[in-house]
Amino acid sequence: MSAETHREGATIEHRPDVAPTGIAGLDRILRGGVPAGRPTLLRGAAGTGKTVIALTFLCHGIAAGEPGVLVTFDESPEALLAHAEGFGFPARRHVAEGRLRILDMRPDRNEVQVGETIELTVILARIAHALEGLAATRLVIDAIDGIEATFASYPSLRSELARVFDWIRERRVTCLITTGERGEFSTRYGLEDYVADCVIALRQEVTNRVMTRVLRVVKRRGGAHETNEYPFLLDAGGLFLVPVTGAELTAKVSDRRLSTGIPGLDAMLGGDGPYRGSTVLLSGQAGTGKTSLACSLVRAACEAGLAVLYISFEESIDELTRNQRVLGLDLARYRRDGHEAAGPEDHQDDHRDDHPKDGLVLRPVRAVELGLEEHLMRVMRLIGEYRPDLVVLDPISSLAGRGHDPAAKETLLRLLHLLKAEGVTLIATELLSDDGGGVSHLDVSSMIDVWIRLRRHENDGEINRLITVVKARGLPISNQVKEFRISGAGLAIEEPYLGTGGIAYGTARLARAAEDEAELEQLDQELERARHARDQLTEVTAAAARLARIEEEAKGAELDRRIAQIEQRLAQIARARAAVSRGRE
Amino acid sequence: MSGQLLRLYIAGRTAAASRAIANLEAIVAGLAAEGQQIAIEVIDILERPQLAEDERILATPVVIKKLPPPVRRVVGDLSEHDKVLVGLDLKEA
Repeated sequence: MSAETHREGATIEHRPDVAPTGIAGLDRILRGGVPAGRPTLLRGAAGTGKTVIALTFLCHGIAAGEPGVLVTFDESPEALLAHAEGFGFPARRHVAEGRLRILDMRPDRNEVQVGETIELTVILARIAHALEGLAATRLVIDAIDGIEATFASYPSLRSELARVFDWIRERRVTCLITTGERGEFSTRYGLEDYVADCVIALRQEVTNRVMTRVLRVVKRRGGAHETNEYPFLLDAGGLFLVPVTGAELTAKVSDRRLSTGIPGLDAMLGGDGPYRGSTVLLSGQAGTGKTSLACSLVRAACEAGLAVLYISFEESIDELTRNQRVLGLDLARYRRDGHEAAGPEDHQDDHRDDHPKDGLVLRPVRAVELGLEEHLMRVMRLIGEYRPDLVVLDPISSLAGRGHDPAAKETLLRLLHLLKAEGVTLIATELLSDDGGGVSHLDVSSMIDVWIRLRRHENDGEINRLITVVKARGLPISNQVKEFRISGAGLAIEEPYLGTGGIAYGTARLARAAEDEAELEQLDQELERARHARDQLTEVTAAAARLARIEEEAKGAELDRRIAQIEQRLAQIARARAAVSRGRE
Repeated sequence: MSGQLLRLYIAGRTAAASRAIANLEAIVAGLAAEGQQIAIEVIDILERPQLAEDERILATPVVIKKLPPPVRRVVGDLSEHDKVLVGLDLKEA
């Protein structure tokens, strides 16, 4: 709860009329905290978390410089201290340093009661004495209804208790009174209607053998509050309340992109991968490579110096690390959390900021017996704790895939909204059923920015993985189904075979390519032959032409010779004629 | 068995406190008549609240007998003297 405490401290404006409880979600519902200087009633059956809220309220106040007094009518002071220490509050130190005092008002069972009249003034005197001694401004009265059983036989009890409550009201101390639901104690003594300015009810319900705890602010005098019932989580990590309701989409829009670590996939997403801060869904049947793809994104994000929180719902961290190592991806290299034990760790406010901000945190969340809502709240708390830039939920379908629980779906939507609002990139994998025809059951598609679908393609006795970008808001995407290959060398996108026979993948793609190869070779040979023939033809033609020319030339020479002979003959004849005529003269 | 001390804690001089004081005095007087010397100390916790804290007192009037052990406490206006005597282990039940 400490991380949220810090975060909320910044966002909730400090008002003098409210006292923050230190539980982020509760303070948000209460618009800052419980009424300062007034009594608040916290009622709920045993085990609903009243004492945890009360202890948090006190210790948070002490840490903020407000000493506190804790009055217990039920648990021993030692048990309460151990309780508080268990949640990471240095309660014993607070006591030693005089900032916390516990007043043990557990009834003495051996006390003999005689007579008609008792007075409870001593309770007030003790509380006043402690408040003054510590200059305390916060007071918790835990399990006030315990007093009724003890002094039930006295007719004066009723008026005496009324006097106690009047006094507390007049005392002007910020007070949290817890009571069980037994016999409507709080109503009978006017706690609910008259004494308390603020009433918070805790309830637990069991449906399908899964327990859910809910909190509701019943009343808040002189101030606004949220009126819904809010599910909350209570475990060793403290109390966690989902703080978001009807959150507006105020995502910090980023123009920066996040590489998927696979050049081919980046190319399918417009060249550089998805936008940072977007919600990416990787859907696919079993064995299609969702986790491997998510891990590739994790590596790319770690390489880019981002803080990554990987929440694995099915694989253990060791399995995940080993399986990815086989594919050439060493997740351990990027881990900043080392190999510390899983689960909630120390919740001391002081240590939180010592964590380096970047690197990978791997967390398994595997308790199958949890209700889906509780599951989701665990996730939200982890996110609040580590404040990652990128979160992987693998698979998200284990959170909401079954779709029978509307509350779980609502909580999932809240989670997605929360991540959006914080500008956190989400990589969620979704396991699709084999017979579902690749239809998503999440029903949150409107919240998804980038939806990548992986599927198996079975042909010619082998299975190939195909990858499609179904949608990617604001990105020019490839509309082609490509092949996605997982090997010891990592992940790669392969262009599918695109030929006359249609689209083919895997070995079929290779076969098709081989067929094409043979055909090409054949064509080449044919071409070669045709060219050869053509060349020969040209040669023949040229030779014929040469021959014709030679013949022509020969014929021409012959004709020339004949012409010359005839001309010579004619000239001889002419000369002879001339000689005859000269002789006649 | 002499020198026993009963501490009666009250919260202001209320009617109930006065009744308790009167009742306790009457009881002690009765015991004195039987030869048992018991002292009474009346403590107003409004004046000494830390004592109420130390004794973990929830309601007044209350009379506490520390010695001899075990500690005995009787709360109320002590109007039924026999019950008080039994409660404080000053008389067999």
